[in-house]
Amino acid sequence: MQRISYLPFLLSFLLLSCKKFLDVQPSQQVDASGAITNAGSAETAVNGLYNLLGSNSYYGSNFMALSYLSGGDIQWTGSQSAPQQIASRQLSADNSNVASAWTAIYRTILSANYIIDAVPGLSDPLLTQAKKNQFLGEAYFVRALSYFDLARGWGGVQLILKPTRLADDQAGIKRSTLADTYAQVLSDLDKAEGLLPATTNRTRATRKTVWALKARYYLYRAQWDSAAANATKVISDAASYSLLRPYNAFFANNATATAESVFEIAYSVSGVNNHYNWWLPPALGGRREWAPNAQLVALLNDANAGGGRSALIAQTAPPGNLWYGKLYYRTPAGTDPAYIIRLAELYLIRSEARAKKGLLSEALADLNAVRDRAGLAPGNAQTEADLLLAIENERRLEFAFEGDRWFNLVRTGRADDVLGLTDANRYLFPIPASELLADQNLDPNPGY
Amino acid sequence: MLRFILPSLPGHAQSPDTRDTTVASSLNRSLSEVIVVGYGAQSKKAVVGSVTSIKAATIKDRPAASFDQQLQGRAAGVQVSANTGVPGDGIFFRIRGTTSINAGNDPLYVVDGVFINNQSLQKITTQGQANNPLADINPADIESISILKDATATAIYGARAANGVVLITTKRGAYNSKPRVNFNTYVGAAWAPELWDLVSGPEHATIINEAWVNDGKPFATRPFRPKTEGGRGLPEEQPTYDRLHDIFRTGILQNYDLSVAGGNDKTRYYISGGYNKQQADIKTNDYQRASLKVNLDQQLNDKVRIGSSNSLSRSRRTNARVGDGPQGGILQAALHTPTYLPKFNDDGTYAKWAGFDNLDVLINYTDMHSNSTRYIGNIYAEADLLRNFKFRTSWSLDYNDYDEYEYWNSFTNRGSASKGLATSSVSKNIVWVNEQTLSYRTEAGRKHSFGVLIGNSIQGNVNTQTWAQGTNFPGDTYKQIASAATTTASSTRTESRQVSFFSRLEYNYDGKYLAEVNVRADASSKFGVNKQWGYFPSLGLAWRAKEERFLQNANAISDLKLRANIGLTGNQNGIGNFAARGLWTGGFNYQDNPGTVPYQLANPELGWESTRQINLGVDLGLLQDRISIEFNWYDKYTTDLLLNLPLAVSTGFQTISSNAGEISNRGIELGISTTNIRTRSFVWQTSFNIARNVNKIEQLTIPIDASYAAERMAQGYPMHSFYVYKQLYVDPQTGDAVYEDITKDGKITANDRQMIGQATPKFFGGLSNTFSYKGFDLAVFFNFQYGNKVYNSNRFFHESGGTRDDRRAINKHQLDRWQKPGDITDVPRVTTLGTNYTLSPSTRFLEDGSFLRLSSLTLGYTVPAAIASRLRASAIRVYFSGSNLWLLKKYKGPDPEVNVTSDPNVQGYDLGTPPQPRTVQFGLNLSL
Repeated sequence: MQRISYLPFLLSFLLLSCKKFLDVQPSQQVDASGAITNAGSAETAVNGLYNLLGSNSYYGSNFMALSYLSGGDIQWTGSQSAPQQIASRQLSADNSNVASAWTAIYRTILSANYIIDAVPGLSDPLLTQAKKNQFLGEAYFVRALSYFDLARGWGGVQLILKPTRLADDQAGIKRSTLADTYAQVLSDLDKAEGLLPATTNRTRATRKTVWALKARYYLYRAQWDSAAANATKVISDAASYSLLRPYNAFFANNATATAESVFEIAYSVSGVNNHYNWWLPPALGGRREWAPNAQLVALLNDANAGGGRSALIAQTAPPGNLWYGKLYYRTPAGTDPAYIIRLAELYLIRSEARAKKGLLSEALADLNAVRDRAGLAPGNAQTEADLLLAIENERRLEFAFEGDRWFNLVRTGRADDVLGLTDANRYLFPIPASELLADQNLDPNPGY
Repeated sequence: MLRFILPSLPGHAQSPDTRDTTVASSLNRSLSEVIVVGYGAQSKKAVVGSVTSIKAATIKDRPAASFDQQLQGRAAGVQVSANTGVPGDGIFFRIRGTTSINAGNDPLYVVDGVFINNQSLQKITTQGQANNPLADINPADIESISILKDATATAIYGARAANGVVLITTKRGAYNSKPRVNFNTYVGAAWAPELWDLVSGPEHATIINEAWVNDGKPFATRPFRPKTEGGRGLPEEQPTYDRLHDIFRTGILQNYDLSVAGGNDKTRYYISGGYNKQQADIKTNDYQRASLKVNLDQQLNDKVRIGSSNSLSRSRRTNARVGDGPQGGILQAALHTPTYLPKFNDDGTYAKWAGFDNLDVLINYTDMHSNSTRYIGNIYAEADLLRNFKFRTSWSLDYNDYDEYEYWNSFTNRGSASKGLATSSVSKNIVWVNEQTLSYRTEAGRKHSFGVLIGNSIQGNVNTQTWAQGTNFPGDTYKQIASAATTTASSTRTESRQVSFFSRLEYNYDGKYLAEVNVRADASSKFGVNKQWGYFPSLGLAWRAKEERFLQNANAISDLKLRANIGLTGNQNGIGNFAARGLWTGGFNYQDNPGTVPYQLANPELGWESTRQINLGVDLGLLQDRISIEFNWYDKYTTDLLLNLPLAVSTGFQTISSNAGEISNRGIELGISTTNIRTRSFVWQTSFNIARNVNKIEQLTIPIDASYAAERMAQGYPMHSFYVYKQLYVDPQTGDAVYEDITKDGKITANDRQMIGQATPKFFGGLSNTFSYKGFDLAVFFNFQYGNKVYNSNRFFHESGGTRDDRRAINKHQLDRWQKPGDITDVPRVTTLGTNYTLSPSTRFLEDGSFLRLSSLTLGYTVPAAIASRLRASAIRVYFSGSNLWLLKKYKGPDPEVNVTSDPNVQGYDLGTPPQPRTVQFGLNLSL
């Protein structure tokens, strides 16, 4: 009797519940189709976009490290061979730091593409037109910055402008020219400028942030009038932006989002900036895998060159006495901002643009604004060439740990003179070897 | 007429009734032996598939934390390699090679019918290694282990069986037997037999100065010049600090097992308790396990039996960061801090160098521990329904709670910037299985006999983790996150389910011709709706030629069986539970506001990975089975590999879960057991096994670099191949390393790397000799592997020619550098320029990893029964045992059996990995 009662029960239980039983839904992720559907999810997607912009491999350290390790002032003091290659400007196509920066930038672009694609079609009473414009504008801005970084790092790249929903969605896209890549940057910046409000926000993109990036963009494109004009829009907004004194006021004593800052990425203990790890010595919780070299230390400590910028460095306890950079230093570890555009850069952009236009005294005034803030006597460069060299040297110290030096020397064509890098192929990073394998449409950069 | 198939076959899944298993007294691998197979037990004679059965008693000499490590060298075709010398750490275990890249390659482990989890739940990193969850099982409770290797043996487990199946049967009592009390104990010691040879302080300084001058810089400004000139002091003034001997130690081993087994006519029981403690040869790693075991069987009446297997254990690990990465890395700090650098700063504070922690700080303050609480159990009921029909149902549970904690105080690098850092992680993993089987068997004694088994199984897996981290503590005496000023937390949950139906048909004609068909259908929630079901059939045939007339009078041949089978098995382990879906994920927050980002691309076509296996085998017994030989040839071919296929990252995604790629494993296995001498007082037996597996990636559209890029997976090459720059020689004139320029473009670029050697051995196996003379017993066991390479990354850092200056220690090999024209060496001129010391990875550090190890040696003495009984014991044995007592190797590191990471796609990569300990133990076995 017993067997007769429970066998049918078991069988029917199994048959009925089989399909339902196998229907298991994730509780930690959502299907991509449900990712951006209303005001709330559009906002979280934009938050995610900033997170990616500040990820470890992008502005969270790795992409910036490509620049400062290449720039000749930062020495490699670690053990891994990938940063060693960067510091010696002997990059090979299998360099893992280069690959992870490339990956992080395209990952950021994917998120931006999703937002640009999805947000215009949303209908949610809570999603006002102003909000829509803001989200879209932020996505266009971040995409512009991403392609700008690809262009200055790798040259013309594949322009991916639609979100990837299936694996072959981007098939067949070849590298664009450098001019077309920069044209895409400008197009995105123009759209962002039209969409974003002219408010002040130092940790998210606004129209003012767009002006600042446009100033930098036009400088790289040698369009001096536009560079100066956009820089002026920010500089003249004195109520919002000013050079702080002393120099370390923009980062010391746990300051964030100061009046000096035009755009920085914010971090917290739940999303940390990895810079500290590479700069700080072990006693302060880092690895000190790179450090200012003797030349830079001497310049920063030179009262006539570094001035207040000596606050950027310090020394470990004897008998070590090792110099280290302390721009990223905070407790809890990793809560330092990542600085993307500071007002000082806009002064130096305008100074250079004005010098190029022959407005030498105005150019000198802009340069001296930065020098003065650093506690230095005014410079007295009289010729355009002297001015340009003075600007170059000022940038070198002003942005010593902000990843400017390398891109600046490449931009001005001075990498050969300053770094002795004669092979112009080396002015661009290699397209990662792993990408060349995975993507038949991708051509390598020459020389790698 | 021989009775091959036991009447009780399906009813005693993984729990052969002792009434049927008259094995114990057999010295040889006897034909009457009954071995556990999937959903049943079969007599050795009737087994059609390839199954290696191992008595736990034969492998217990090695004081390893887990039974899988004890299996090393014991079974042909089963490759076992310990990643580190830390007890309870991960084990690399492969049955007949690696079949997959991104899905799991570990076998399915089944303990008394319970499908157990063998994936580490560890979340707090020890920098590369992962704990071994199999260490939660007390080896002393294991009766026997069956390793199912070919398709006929494994197909009944279908979707989870592509990597073989390991069936563990724990001890049970015997009906109608008096209580038997067993007490086993040992105490011992473990230490590292060999460490690394580092240079002295003056030697280090000499190398750095030499590189300085070789770089073309002025001698006057060399780093090690008099302190009065602003230097670090002359080379000969440099001190030497030995940090290695600060962290290596002689660890204490102890083990206690107490068990009672017995039964009456209706009930049998086995109850045991055990405690094991092992200190690693390196500070601060300890492993402890306390375990309880209760196995019960009850006959309710003539037709119905119920029973239960239960084990409860708690493993406590005191951990350290022994792997890759400087922060908190205790072995790295000892091994890689330059020897001339002092332990303290001038002001008396702890000195820290090269990104490492101060070693004294780590020794005194490393505070990482984990507790694994594990219940593995099942309950079953079985009933004889009609004549020869049997029904069985069982419910099984593997519950594992893995509770980890770490506190890094303000002296440590991790804690200093955060004013103390604590992490708590609690992971829970539940595997539950419900199974029903219905079986029929013809009466014994007929010429044609049949066995039929049908069954179903449903199972689920739920994995959750709760994680919290605190920083900014009021002081180092506050170690719980409750005291932290800043806290973060998260939790995760993931689930998968599987439904299966399976069947086995057996046919046996007169004990000569045997056929077995297995079919299993599995559906997994991991795959898309259209791809959920997978079907896994197998067909096996065996011919017992000895039963034929022409061999019946061949007295020298006591048994001859030929086996052939083919079948399909599947794999879905190791991939994400929602791998087929296109998903976005949260957790990418900005300014403490929630943020979401794309997570993975959809692949609705994602389905099962399947392995086709052919096996041909011969079992031969000679001279009344004093010699028994088992030989197998197999051919495994895996298609639709579950692969994270690399995508162009311009899509925004790096990979997509796909069925792409094919891998083959072909090999031979030979096992020989002999009884060389058998007299009344002296017995000498030998057991030898050797196997060769040839692995090849047959199809892979693009090469994939492993997480340690010295290894690459590429079509036409085996898994775990090294992909390196080849150093041809050091130019005797210039002292520069010359690398092979395979692209012939005049420069060495990334395209000049090439596939050279592999981390898996060409041959491997074991040799066991046991002797008994009157009360004495001696067991000597060697294991070996041959033809594998190890990438010695410690040397990459140690022999860096001055490029790492004060950041890495230097070893003695560096002293063999080229110094003047005419020098013949493979160590190039020291310099920070050029590619002598910057090109990585290079064949210079790719070494032969072959070895022969005296894995264990045991000498025991059993007290004569008369004396024992006077002490009121039924048996008393004392023994001395040692493991890893001798090692033959070419490898320049302490031990070639190492691996830096638990990532299964990396093998044979040595970087700051503690070597295998040498141990000695004294023990006592007492039976009352």
